[in-house]
Amino acid sequence: MSYHHSQDGQEPEEDEIDEDIYKSQKDALLFAIDVSKTMMKAPPASDDKKADTDSGLTAALKCAYQVMQQRIISNPKDMMGILLFNTEKSKSNDEEEDRGNWNYPHCYVYVPLDVPAAEDVKRLKSLVEDGEDSEEVLIPSKEPANIKDVLFCANQILATKAPNFGSRRVFIITDSDNPHMDDKKMNEAAAVRAKDLYDLGVFITLFPIGQKDSTFDLSKFWNDIIFKDPMAELTDPETVLESKSGNDGLTLLKSLIKNIDSKKTPKRAYFSSMPFEIGPGLTISVKGYNLFQRQAPARSCYVWLDGEKAQIAVGETARTEKDSTRDVEKGELKKAYKFGGEYVYFSPEEQAEVKKFGEKTIKIIGFKDRSLLKFWMAIKKSIFIYPSEEGYVGSTRVFSALWQKLLKSKKVGIAWHIARKNANPQLVAIIPSRSQSDEKSGTPYLPAGLWLYPIPFADDLRVGPELKAVRTTNELTDKMNKITGQLQMPRGLFEPHRYPNPALQWHYKILQALALEEEVPEKPDDATMPKNKAISRRAGGYLQEWADVANEALAQHQQEKAVKRELDGEDVEEPQPKKRARTTAAGKKNDEDGGPATTDAGLKKLVNSGDISKMKVTELKEVLAVRSLDTKGRKADLIERLEQWVEENI
Amino acid sequence: MADKEATVYIVDLGSSMADCHNGRIESDMSWSMQYVWDRISTTVAANRKTWNIGVVGLKTDETDNPLAEEDGYNNISVLRELGPMGMAGLRSLQEKIQPSSTDVGDCLSAIVIAMEMIQTFTKKLKYNRRIFLVTNGESPLGEDEEAVTEIAARIKELGIELTVLGVDFDDSEFGFKEEDKTEQKTANEVSLKKLTDACDGQFGTIAEAIAELSVPRLKPVKPYKSYEGPLTLGDPQQGAMIIEVERYFKTHKATIPPASNVVLQQNHATQAGDGGAMEGVQSTGGDFAAVSNVRTYKVNDPREPLGKLEVKLEDLAKGYEYGRTAVHISDTEHNITKIETTKGFAIIGFIPQDNFEPFVNMGDSCMIVPQKFNDEAAIKLSSFIHSLHELESYAIARLVMKDGKEPLLLILAPHIDLEFECLYDVPLPFAEDVRSYKFPPLDKVFTVSGKVLNEHRQLPSHDLLETMSEYVDAMDISTYEMDDDGAAYPPILVKYAKPDEALEQAAKTRLDDLIETAEVKKVPPKATGRRQRDKVVPRSGLDIDALLKQPEHKRAKIDSNNAIPEFRQILNTSDSEDAVKDAAKQMGQIIRDLISDSMGDLNYERVMEDLGVLREGMVDFEFAALFNAFLLDLKKKILSGELGGDRRELWWMLKGKGLGLIDNLTVESSNVTPEEAAEFYKK
Repeated sequence: MSYHHSQDGQEPEEDEIDEDIYKSQKDALLFAIDVSKTMMKAPPASDDKKADTDSGLTAALKCAYQVMQQRIISNPKDMMGILLFNTEKSKSNDEEEDRGNWNYPHCYVYVPLDVPAAEDVKRLKSLVEDGEDSEEVLIPSKEPANIKDVLFCANQILATKAPNFGSRRVFIITDSDNPHMDDKKMNEAAAVRAKDLYDLGVFITLFPIGQKDSTFDLSKFWNDIIFKDPMAELTDPETVLESKSGNDGLTLLKSLIKNIDSKKTPKRAYFSSMPFEIGPGLTISVKGYNLFQRQAPARSCYVWLDGEKAQIAVGETARTEKDSTRDVEKGELKKAYKFGGEYVYFSPEEQAEVKKFGEKTIKIIGFKDRSLLKFWMAIKKSIFIYPSEEGYVGSTRVFSALWQKLLKSKKVGIAWHIARKNANPQLVAIIPSRSQSDEKSGTPYLPAGLWLYPIPFADDLRVGPELKAVRTTNELTDKMNKITGQLQMPRGLFEPHRYPNPALQWHYKILQALALEEEVPEKPDDATMPKNKAISRRAGGYLQEWADVANEALAQHQQEKAVKRELDGEDVEEPQPKKRARTTAAGKKNDEDGGPATTDAGLKKLVNSGDISKMKVTELKEVLAVRSLDTKGRKADLIERLEQWVEENI
Repeated sequence: MADKEATVYIVDLGSSMADCHNGRIESDMSWSMQYVWDRISTTVAANRKTWNIGVVGLKTDETDNPLAEEDGYNNISVLRELGPMGMAGLRSLQEKIQPSSTDVGDCLSAIVIAMEMIQTFTKKLKYNRRIFLVTNGESPLGEDEEAVTEIAARIKELGIELTVLGVDFDDSEFGFKEEDKTEQKTANEVSLKKLTDACDGQFGTIAEAIAELSVPRLKPVKPYKSYEGPLTLGDPQQGAMIIEVERYFKTHKATIPPASNVVLQQNHATQAGDGGAMEGVQSTGGDFAAVSNVRTYKVNDPREPLGKLEVKLEDLAKGYEYGRTAVHISDTEHNITKIETTKGFAIIGFIPQDNFEPFVNMGDSCMIVPQKFNDEAAIKLSSFIHSLHELESYAIARLVMKDGKEPLLLILAPHIDLEFECLYDVPLPFAEDVRSYKFPPLDKVFTVSGKVLNEHRQLPSHDLLETMSEYVDAMDISTYEMDDDGAAYPPILVKYAKPDEALEQAAKTRLDDLIETAEVKKVPPKATGRRQRDKVVPRSGLDIDALLKQPEHKRAKIDSNNAIPEFRQILNTSDSEDAVKDAAKQMGQIIRDLISDSMGDLNYERVMEDLGVLREGMVDFEFAALFNAFLLDLKKKILSGELGGDRRELWWMLKGKGLGLIDNLTVESSNVTPEEAAEFYKK
């Protein structure tokens, strides 16, 4: 039902591929936020507008609120929860389910782990924006919580609420680098619970909050808690920098948002253990990632309003035989191709044979100069690939060597690619992306690596209309050059993060307002609208000059055309085609009295000249209806019917 | 495309067509019919009512045609009148295409009959009219030269395209000449050539036509206009640039026809597989019925026996999901979440061409051309195109294809060649479409302490960079043609499935150098997965396994609340097989308890996870027998209802997720074959 997973009718290729097939492809994210006194300490008052206004805790909660809103849009099936620790009050998962035998003092489940509901958003919003803490939860405990309890509490929440999820994560936000003050026993107990989480398949990320004059020292305690992410690359130290007021000139909040943003989407591979054959006899292994995924508003669903609470009705599909409406069991289904109006049955083996192009692979067939890859050779989004040592030791260095060579010599690889067994083969160009630190990079928001860029097959090419170019004049192009030169984008880059999808944002903004029973906003923010004021300020004069020169050029062109016609001995009097002359709907230019082909003579003319095929279906239906003829069928059928009528009646 | 067609095939069924010639082991008939069948079945597959096929048999034993009364029209039969053709027609035609026992029949007469058929059928309407004649040219033609001229004139008058394809006709262009040809055939070839020349038809040898079959035919698609209107820069109200343009697809993924779900029709169920005469395809007409989908809707209702209440579609309102909250949208507001937009195409700004990377593209490309017959638009657009070209820039634009459609971001590139100019565009991602995964850099290594290393086993050595560079240069295919338009054209579909052999040979030594320097080693399959049992330690390197052995952390029995971690820890740390077997037994009990205690399907996902972990562990330790025995018992208990009632749904889940027996492909010592493992899923 959601766009995140593949939509009906979409190619199954879009699904993420994972080895642990018994796991569901969902993500559960639990925030564990420290509510200690130091976390609650407000920053010193300042007159500077850019100064910090948030305490560590408010910044953390604001981040969690933002992430929750974003995930409703980007991961509508995924779960999120918030666990506060070092609180005076304690509350475990669900009070009614609390069997009493597990006790986690000073741990408070503020938002139970689940797909967020409107109430969760509302509650968090009033806590964050209005400071409304009706549950009086933001009161630090006198005794600090035991980290082992915090971790086991997280363990229980994730094990029971998000069983079998492909990805389960805990984000710990704290400013304390030594919560147990070097108490060896307590540290060890925490380390054991951290290992439990690791063995459960839960990955912990620590977001340290830096205090003013001291640095957060991971070696005091947290390095015993944090394990290497098994999904991460070997060479990735993956430390999250401490978020601190003044880091890179950012406020604490912005600094924390930046750090969390980089980790908020669980890294899922689109394919792994993919053999990448650089030449016969030289194969390395790579993983593929979908770094681009078009997001669109979720499709509408059906809501049942007759119960106590509005509820989404879950649809189930039953299959029936078309004519007899007999119910069909799943095992009865067979695959067939339609041929000549009948079904031709293919056994599963034959089906497989039809699609058989070999095992999954990326196989280089050669290299080309990059300039030979034309702009228009685009067919669909690209897949990012990155080396992995899982199949072949040494993959990373070979991959790196190839990447460096392609960048240096401005070349691309051409490869034959099969994404998985029985997938349709695709020709791809292999294009390197520059390092993010590289100043020449046009895509500083994308990682360095190689991209599989699908190029079209001959079947994918379309022809356009046939036109003969009417050329600009040098003077006119010069005028346009002034405009083009004036209107360069900031930093000369296209940066997607500047352009949220207006349709998507509006959809969820309205939904949120309706769900939270807030006022519906009136006008959407649309960052994609051109900044016309700035354009006319910077290039207004040039635009006018260009328009004037264009008129001159046009007049000159028309004069030349007239002269040429005269020389060719054509009829000079022939009127110029009108600016908006429509030649398509043939009927329209016929007669004023009642439009298309109302007269029999007019219709006959259309039929004989063949112009009838240029009429629109609606127009054809009109003409048919006037003559009491059947208006059903495809365009060709309609035309045929009219032709027959003309044949028989006129 | 959508044009109507009337095509008559004249096929030579003479007895001599049953012979084999020129070293072929196939009869002339079945060889030349390849071409005819291919054309006919392509038409059948297209399933168009306006594409009509007629078939005339030449040199048939009988005479059955509208001109039979007249002289010289003997031994010609209309096998099929012009009309649309389906599978049934195809099958009945197949039966009729058999060699006759005569060699009498005049192919010029057959052409005249075909012309008559077309004329009667198409009248004066707009049709593509075609006649194909396939013959071995061994029988005398009854007409004189004058008649040939007459027929040719008539063919031209009717607008018919005549194609003559002869078995082993000489064709110098194709490069075929038949030795010891009969005199009759030589004479006929000359006459037929004369005829086709006189009516602008085609004349060729059938071998050429058959060879062409191996080149895949491209299905032409009419230009599709996705936008027509102004392209603007600035505020249209205040002296902006306004150019009237049209936008068409340049590329668009051609779809592969999908297979549909069908069922055997009950009353035909027994006949499957007989009667299908088509080679390699098992089919009988009408055995299969289409399947239609019926949607039913359910909501949670604790008062119902299964907790679900079926509701009628009429009683449901439209809405959207916001998280797990259902937001109802009333009919009067059904468009409330749709952004209001006005059709338009506006330039946002420009970027240098060097700053655009093709892999940012989100879909297929389109071309933008000036409005037809609009010189003003053409001159203006041309100045825009040339400006982008001269300043090496691309333009970023916002496109709304129609009022109310969602805005798109496009990047526009100039294209100029001798006769033609346009802008090409591809779609760009929005902020939400980009996933910010982080990857370590490829040219340096950061240590945990933050130090930067430029030499590391993960980084290429100088030698490796060098050999790679030489190999890449040696494998250059820049000069290889990518065919006319630069796109991949598949004469043989797998032409690009591997490197060109000559090139590969030329680059062989470079590759060998590269392989030697790269020192890539395949990871043996044994070492994949968790079997390697690398000790996992946190960042500090603290030995937690050792901690777990200390009395205060030691765990005697697996805690059902912490089952997965504790089970894994036993497997990772224990030295005795018995401890592992014991842990597996405990997990088994935990799984059974979870099932028994489950309210409805509440615990099913936990069961799946525990079972998955247990199976994984047993595969690692190669205890297939232990696991298989457990699973067989579990299946029995699940299906018999022993574990707290009807648990069939759980069984379907296990099946769906592939949590089955461990076969001897996975663990060698298993005594379960893959076939038996598959059998296990069947009830």
